[in-house]
Amino acid sequence: MSESAHIRVTVNGSPIECDVEPRMLLGDFLRTTLALTGTHFGCEHGVCGACTVIVNGDSTRSCLMFAVQADGGTVETVESLGTIDALHPLQEAFRTHHALQCGYCTPGMLMTALDLIRKRPLANDAEIRDGLSGNLCRCTGYQNIVIAVREAAKVIRASNL
Amino acid sequence: MLETTRPKLVGASVKRVEDPRLLTGQGAYTDDFRPNGMLHVGLVRSVHPFARIVHINTAEAKRMPGVIGIFTAADIDGAAKPILATSKMKEYRAVPLPILAKDTVHHVGEAVVAVVATSRYLAEDALRKVEIDYEPLAACTDPEEATRPSAPLVHPSLGSNIALAREFVRGDVPAAMAAAQVRVKGRFRFFRKAALALESRSYLAEFNGGRRELTLHTSTQVPGIVRESLAELLDLPGNSVRVIAPDVGGGFGAKTSVYPEEILVCVLARRLGKPVKYTSDRLEDLSSTSQAFDEVIDAELGVAADGTLLALSADVTGDVGAYSVYPWTAAIEPVQVVSFLPGPYRLANYLGKVRGVITPKVPLGPYRGVGRPVSTFVMERLIDMAAVKLGIDPVAMRLKNLVREDEFPYKVASGIVWDRSAFIECLDAACQKADYAALRTMQHAARAAGRWIGIGIASYAELTGIGSKIPAAPGMPVNTGTETATIRIDATGAVTAIFGVASHGQGLETTLAQIVADDLGVRMEDIRIIQGDTAGRAYVTGTYASRSTVLAGGAAKLAAGAVREKVMLAASHLMEAAVEDLDASNGIIFVRGTDRRMTFKELARKVYVEFSRLPKELQQELEATRLYDPVVGTTSSASHIAMVEVDPISYQVHVLRYVVAEDCGRVVNPMIVEGQVHGGVAQGIGAALLEEVVYSEDGQLMTGSLMDYVLPSATGIPMMDVLHVEAESPSTLGGFRGMGEGGTIGAPAAIANAVSDALSPLGIEINELPATPERIFRLVEQASKQKR
Amino acid sequence: MKPPPFKYLAARTLDEAIDALACSDGEAKVLAGGQSLVPMLNFRLLEPAWLVDINRIPGLDGIQDAAGSLHIGALTRHKTTENAPLIADAFPIVTAAMSHVAHFGVRNRGTIGGSLAHADPAAELPMLAMLLDASITTQSGKGKRTIAAKDFFRGSLATALEPTEILTAVTLPKLPPATGWSFEEISRRPGDFAVAAVAVTITQQGGRCTDARIALAGVGATPIRFPQAERTLIGQTIDAAMANAAAAIVRDQCEPQSDLQGSADYRRHLVGHLVARGIDVAAGARS
Repeated sequence: MSESAHIRVTVNGSPIECDVEPRMLLGDFLRTTLALTGTHFGCEHGVCGACTVIVNGDSTRSCLMFAVQADGGTVETVESLGTIDALHPLQEAFRTHHALQCGYCTPGMLMTALDLIRKRPLANDAEIRDGLSGNLCRCTGYQNIVIAVREAAKVIRASNL
Repeated sequence: MLETTRPKLVGASVKRVEDPRLLTGQGAYTDDFRPNGMLHVGLVRSVHPFARIVHINTAEAKRMPGVIGIFTAADIDGAAKPILATSKMKEYRAVPLPILAKDTVHHVGEAVVAVVATSRYLAEDALRKVEIDYEPLAACTDPEEATRPSAPLVHPSLGSNIALAREFVRGDVPAAMAAAQVRVKGRFRFFRKAALALESRSYLAEFNGGRRELTLHTSTQVPGIVRESLAELLDLPGNSVRVIAPDVGGGFGAKTSVYPEEILVCVLARRLGKPVKYTSDRLEDLSSTSQAFDEVIDAELGVAADGTLLALSADVTGDVGAYSVYPWTAAIEPVQVVSFLPGPYRLANYLGKVRGVITPKVPLGPYRGVGRPVSTFVMERLIDMAAVKLGIDPVAMRLKNLVREDEFPYKVASGIVWDRSAFIECLDAACQKADYAALRTMQHAARAAGRWIGIGIASYAELTGIGSKIPAAPGMPVNTGTETATIRIDATGAVTAIFGVASHGQGLETTLAQIVADDLGVRMEDIRIIQGDTAGRAYVTGTYASRSTVLAGGAAKLAAGAVREKVMLAASHLMEAAVEDLDASNGIIFVRGTDRRMTFKELARKVYVEFSRLPKELQQELEATRLYDPVVGTTSSASHIAMVEVDPISYQVHVLRYVVAEDCGRVVNPMIVEGQVHGGVAQGIGAALLEEVVYSEDGQLMTGSLMDYVLPSATGIPMMDVLHVEAESPSTLGGFRGMGEGGTIGAPAAIANAVSDALSPLGIEINELPATPERIFRLVEQASKQKR
Repeated sequence: MKPPPFKYLAARTLDEAIDALACSDGEAKVLAGGQSLVPMLNFRLLEPAWLVDINRIPGLDGIQDAAGSLHIGALTRHKTTENAPLIADAFPIVTAAMSHVAHFGVRNRGTIGGSLAHADPAAELPMLAMLLDASITTQSGKGKRTIAAKDFFRGSLATALEPTEILTAVTLPKLPPATGWSFEEISRRPGDFAVAAVAVTITQQGGRCTDARIALAGVGATPIRFPQAERTLIGQTIDAAMANAAAAIVRDQCEPQSDLQGSADYRRHLVGHLVARGIDVAAGARS
């Protein structure tokens, strides 16, 4: 039992080892300690989904988990997807179908969509909407997000064949 | 290959320049900036709606770990003037908005004490140790009651709780009303709403004492207006203040006002000599960011037997909250309701009255559509009510009264002038796309099967791209009608185009580049758009009121034209060809019909680096700054058609079909335009069905989380069809019309009409929004009681 | 909106967690999925001295088929419950209800034990525990306890759990054969807490009802059963009139609250309709 905890966690493929205060939210750890500011907070009470990252293979709200809980695990953030010059197929689909405007909810939306596509690659539009219903977007009206996820799933399925 | 045709980027769905950074987590929002030594502000906010501050004890809080300083209004007294939104409106009372509450708090959520600490966690630990003794004061939270002479005054110095009053009169309403064969009236209410951008407000101030330079990163829509304010309130010259709106996570109007916390971080950064950041959390956002609507409208419409609109009267009471926001004032929302109430219709007789009443709630401010979501809701309901009474189809009723092509420009009873716009064509196009007749057939069949299905239509018009002749808010003393562009080709041939607008999701870095690329003849990738930054700008404001494509687009065209002229003069000399024979495209200047060509890069090098070889008259920079003023602006219009189903048990409303046909003039980027409509409609559906800021009778905020303030999610918004009806605007450069707000203006009215139509067998009218299941339940209960 | 400071223990064994709770003077909270606890911490509605994280305790999760019942470990994530064939076979009503439990991302992390211990009266799992006559197993320094669901939920966010106790498992006795079911929930948006939810099971033999259960969530301070209404169905051949009569009893007996999501009257209205429909569906859908 201690007031500061030593953690080892693999973030976007890189091993990280450091001390954290137990109360530090995973999202704050990513944003401040690791300067991975792609993960955004939108409500800090688990409703909006903007801070979603993937922890040990599951999309997770990083405002509802403490960094110390990620000890020994893996975290994937939006920074783990493609690069500016080589976007991930999901990012490419978001761009092609104009599935983002202000971009604030986008990283959380992408990480949720990625988890959804990995687990339910054949989801229809209604299932995609249901899967994304815990991620709020205030700009797009969701239409283009649904289209982008549906189209990205096709590309990702095809590339895995 | 000879470049004889110039590819047009304007009109094409060009992929957005912003997206790669936003998609890869490399966007930079204000809270992402973390300069060395940065301190964090936590605010102790009032838990009382209206109370005198008796005593503040900060002793224990000061001893908390990580605390750098604790500041009350007394501690920063004199460091900044309070924010004061003045107006030229006759019956308007201005009240200063303090940086921190001084002697009295005027709404739950008003900031009282600032705690500065080394982290937000520690600041929140300490602010819980601040003790404030309040003496609660009596106040009216109901605006009607607050206008009674006996009502306690929220701001005694004003002598009244009525912040503003105004009246519009045209023609003879009593006579026309008396002559009307059919009169319909109602008491309409649109409850309070939050803009709720997903990025909540965030401010980071850095003060360089050596240079006396203040830099503020802010999640604002209006960096220019914030700069003027900071210079004024902090008594600094404009050239010492730089305001940067970096990537901004939505605004929807609520980020167009200057906020006390924006001034506060600057005061504290100057005082402490360290960068100071404040980022509001969601609870703070819901209890301190300006809110919308909250009006009660008593309205009556007089109609002739053939459906011709004869007279309209309306009495609007707006609950404007505790303060007047800067620079828009408390008048902006309620006054626009009466200004725009007559809508896109021919109407000779109008009497519109409005009062804005002060109550101890969060101040009302601009929100997407400003006034028009409410005015359109009321007017479109009245038209449907009249149509039902007369037995006229709602589409025919509208077609009969919409201003016709030969009647433009049309002066509305409130004084607004509609520029030529495709009012009727939009309604026709929407009906055709939706297959209106088929929808009606479907509805009849569904109704026969016991289902509650309804169809709702809303037509509206809005002023967009407003120029200098009309203030964006009534009586506002700030010029919002001009925009300045500087376009520069540098020595490498790269193009920089600098604007005063501040994109917060609209994709202006893309659309403005499309315009500049076309007009200069360069490629998209040759252009960098700089916006959202006041550095070196004489006068700029930002992005609001559906202005940016019209004003910045116009300024871009002017400046690009001037630079192109310089380019062609230089090219004419360098390529030994007449200017008339030259053209440019894709970054290449060419002599038409020949293979003689030169890149912009080559030309720029010759102009700047081989300067001395040029004749004297060509020794000039490839740069121009131009101001554009559309003077009165232009008109955008649209028609929306919604089909809804009301669940007969839960009374939840499901939107089955949604079609928008709109005239936003020449479309720069159809993909972006459609996206704006989708998002606007989604917010309008939220406003119509879900979203409501609730205060208890004693002024407590009941909706302080996203569990209680309910936003639409992916499962509640339908796929929409969006049609463009491109009537070129006669009065703006490029023929652009603004279109950022329209979706939110039309949707509440269309949904209200559709739900009313669905419930018409029960005799139910939807005159209050949002039409929550609870409200529909009560209406159904009432209707069944009356039947018994 | 940042959580207050606390001391943290990632317990490796149940005993370690129990010891920590015992030593904490009632100032500790158990951290499982955190999907309800952490928002309360972020709002600082709770300021526990200790958080005892049970996520790393082996053997606390998983679903086992034990004679006549399913045994579900407290740490079983919602996503596991939602997708488990054992659950789908024995309790299709639970599988159906799981899609109403918050959202995809929350179900990845939230746990059945956490949901029961949190005891939100509008949540699905506490209501299902009531419906299915679940027994809840807890452990403390004093030993194991088994608490019937009907004795477990004491009020809104209040349970029979002692501060030194950890909820370790829930046991669901299997339903008799020929049991039909229905689950209906009305919430503001899919995934939100229930404004009103109704779960019904009807067991029939030879055309007569031998067992009937009706549970509500979102209506009142705890999830609740309606024995009187249930009894009216037993021994009967269920038809629409019977369903309506039972629903009327439930509607009259329930004690809904008024809040932002809906008034007591509206909830009562929902309950009447949903229970009648629920009985119809459960009686008709017998297997």
